This record gives sequence, structure tokens and C-alpha cells, in this order.
Amino acid sequence: MIELHNVTVQYQKDSQALSSVTLKIPKGDFVFITGTSGAGKSTLLKLVYAAVQPVSGHVLVDGQNLSRINRRQIPLLRRKVGVVFQDFKLLANRSVFENVAITLEVLGWESKDIGKKVYHILKRLGIEHKMDVSPLRLSGGEQQRVALARALVNEPKILLADEPTGNLDEANKNQILAIFREANIRGTTVLIATHDKRVVNQSHNRIIHLHNGMLQEAADDPFKA
Amino acid sequence: MTRSKHNVRPAASTKSGGSKFGYFFRKAFSNLAANRLVTALTVSTITLALLIIAMFLLVFVNMEGTVEQWSRKVVVTVYFDKEPLPQELTSLKNRITALPGTGSVSFVSKETALKTFKERLKGQESLLDGVSADILPSSLEIALTREHRSTEAVNIYVARLKKVQGVGEVQYGEEWVRKFLTFFNFLRVLGLLIAAFLLLAVLFIVSNTIRLTILARRDELEIQALVGATPLFIKAPFLIEGVIQGGAGAVIAVSMLTGGYYTLLSNSANFLAFNPVEAGISFLPPLHLIALIIGGSFLGFIGSLFSLKKFTSI
Repeated sequence: MIELHNVTVQYQKDSQALSSVTLKIPKGDFVFITGTSGAGKSTLLKLVYAAVQPVSGHVLVDGQNLSRINRRQIPLLRRKVGVVFQDFKLLANRSVFENVAITLEVLGWESKDIGKKVYHILKRLGIEHKMDVSPLRLSGGEQQRVALARALVNEPKILLADEPTGNLDEANKNQILAIFREANIRGTTVLIATHDKRVVNQSHNRIIHLHNGMLQEAADDPFKA
Repeated sequence: MTRSKHNVRPAASTKSGGSKFGYFFRKAFSNLAANRLVTALTVSTITLALLIIAMFLLVFVNMEGTVEQWSRKVVVTVYFDKEPLPQELTSLKNRITALPGTGSVSFVSKETALKTFKERLKGQESLLDGVSADILPSSLEIALTREHRSTEAVNIYVARLKKVQGVGEVQYGEEWVRKFLTFFNFLRVLGLLIAAFLLLAVLFIVSNTIRLTILARRDELEIQALVGATPLFIKAPFLIEGVIQGGAGAVIAVSMLTGGYYTLLSNSANFLAFNPVEAGISFLPPLHLIALIIGGSFLGFIGSLFSLKKFTSI
């Protein structure tokens, strides 16, 4: 589903965000990407939804070589990828419903179908009673669910999340992780970037560890590096 | 690996072109309503900018009208040594009328010439006491069409006129015509330069005002791009908003100019020593007003397009 071949990303001339990274994530996999701040976790996620371009190497997503796609194909790629951002990126002047509906509006769904689908996903995530509220009036856990609903509403092939449990309490963390697992069971490939030791330790999933932009996969305790 | 049967992601848009356009319109109107304050500020800025253009246009159109009236004074005169017979006069008039560039031909008899002369000497008519009409020649005064009033065109016309059978002495104020036309052309170029400068300034103002509204909604643009919106999907509502705001600003500017003009007319006696209508000051023709409204919408469109260029490359 996702393949990186010798990928190097550079934001500035003298420092590399990712350095000669090669990895393969099969369809339906559930992967944690770990590492300290600045290790390259977010950059790896950005590569998958074509928000950054490598200076060398190839990125393949769902069989598509991203080094060879043109700008017009990027929106089509992004429709296959749901992204949950660290800062949620929710629109404060829109209701919860409108925030989630954006994904389907972009796909050109009819409004009656959007209504049904958004309600369905909000109910699945347990926040359907807050759909007319502004995200500003929600707790951190609820905001995270809205961000997740927006990413999941069109059943993406890939789900990316950048520090999704960063500011949540234990109960909320577990509930959010359960939603990711449910999406994974439904067939979505899940990549979660995190530096939350407990989240990773509690799971038995594959761990990709990054250190200074370099890959150090499947360490016993990735946080030791 | 299983996927639910009833929720299949559409590969592309399910909307037809027409309903997509309808969606963009609904989106544009809901965005304008949701950002009322910013919309009001943008429309006000466009209104003021277009009002300046409209006022300039009013001055320019009146100036052109005045110049056009002056230019009618570019007259070529054919003098007769002796009074022509009516048949001769008719056939000569026909031959001159057939020349390209002839606007109108009028016969000035000796008597009329004397009368005009006396009018010009108002207060000193006694100078012409005892003078009979016979000392003045009768003549044909030829007004030229607008496109034949340039120096070269007048020279070519006079050369052709002299070849017409029955035409003797021809006179026209060469130096006056040259000076007048130079001044006229200078005014036109100056007017066009000022208009171009004003248009650029207005485009700059409109573009920056719209850019502020887009900046205020950059999060929305970013999210749309990240969930897979095409550039057209992101741009279309903003472009429609630009057209609506530009059009609304233009309609308000035209209404203010119309209101201002007619208020000035009805109250001019109170503070002006002359009546603007009698002084030849006219309002903009309807075609100009329609052009202003279409121009305002176009400005809004171009302003949005320029501003969006930067934001749709997320």
C-alpha cells in the first residue's frame, strides 16, 4: 500500500528531515511511527499525502508513484487518504456537522446523502448529539473525534494521524485508539505518528522508529534510541 | 479485509456540471452571509474605488462632449466671386456632398455674411454704416465628419475639394485646426493615462481587500485542499463571491453617482452661479453605466483570481 525507496527529504540545504528511508507498509497494516520531536515522523506522513516532495527516492501510494504524478492528480490521491492533524485543523466558524461534511462536499456528494453519511459517522464516534455545535465548544477528546470523523467519513484506504493522543487523558486515548482499530478492521491501512510511549507499549503492532530522519525499525524499546 | 457494502467512496464527483455550478453559487452566498462584516467592508471598498472611476468617467465624458462641440467649428469655406445661380449652387452642393468627409454643406449669402459680420461687431455696428452686402462674397460652409477633422484628413479633403468643378477659393484655419487637434489629442492621452492609472489602483485595492477575506479563511482552503478538493472546487465559490461583491459595489457606486448628480442638479441654484444642464454638463449615458457595473463584476473576478493564485498551491 505504501512504499518508500531511498527517500530523502530536505527542508533546508544543510539538514535532512528524512535520510535515505526505505520501507514497505502492506495493505491493511496498523503501524506506529515513533521518534522524538524532529525525528521526521510528520514528514513521513506528509510524503504519503503529497504535502512534501522528496529530493531523491520514490514514494509509492496505492501503486501510484508520487514522484511522477502531476499537480492535478494530487486531489485524487488525497481522496484515498484520511488525515488527522496534531492541531485537528477544525474550522471554528463551522458546526461539527459542516466540518465533517467538507470531505464529502469535495467529492461531490448530494446534500441528502452527505446528511445521512455524516450523521452515521458521528453516531459511530459517539458525538452525533454535538453536530450543531462549534468545535470551539468541545473538549479535546471530542475535537479529536470530529477530526477523526472528517478523516474517516469517506472510508479512506489509508488513515494517517499525527500525535492523535497527544493531549488526551487515558480514557479518551483508549477510546480514540479503539476507533483507529475499528477502521483498521474495516480494511483501512493505519499509520499513527506518536511519541506516546504508553500507547505504543500497550499495542502489538508494527513500530517504525525514526531517529534524526533515519529509519530504525522494530526496536524492542524504540524510545531508548 | 472487509469493507462495508453500503458506503462506497465515489471515484469522482457525482454531481453534474449544472448542479455543481448551483453548489458553487449556494456556497458563495452562504460564505458571504457567514462573513457579513468582511463582505460589507469589501463591498464598501469596491464602491468607493468605483465611485472615483465613475466620477472621473463623468468628467471625461463631459470633457469629450465639449471638445466634440468645439471640433465642429473645423469648417472649410468655399468663396464665390459672383453670386451663383440656384441650379449651379444645387449641383455644386451635390458634388461636394458626394466627397468623402463632408458632414454638411450650407450656403451663406452676401446678406447673411453681412448680418453675421455685424453681429460680431456688436456695439460697433456704426463701422459698417453705408456698407452694402455686395462687398462681401457669398460662400459655402462645409462641416466635416468627425473622422475627417485631423490635420492630414483636412488637407486631403481640401485637395479633393479644389478639384471639384465650380470650386474657386477655399479657406480653412490651418494653424487653428492644427493647434486645436494637438490640444484635443493631448487631453485624450492624458485622460486615458489617468484612467489606466485609476484602474490599476482600483484593481490593486480590490485584489488586496479580497486577499484579506481569503486570508481570513485560509484554514478552510487548506482543509479543502487536504481532503482532496480540486483547484476549481476551491476557487469557484471565491470567484463567484468576487463577481457578486464587485457587481454590488458597482451598483452602489452608480446609484450614489446618479443620486449625487441629480441632487446637485435640483439644488444647483442654491450654490452655483450657473445651471449645470444649461452649461452642457450631462450625466453618463446608460451604456457607460452598464459598462461600469459589468466592469465592477470583472474587477471582483480578477481581484479574486489574483488573490487565490497563492493559496491554492497547498
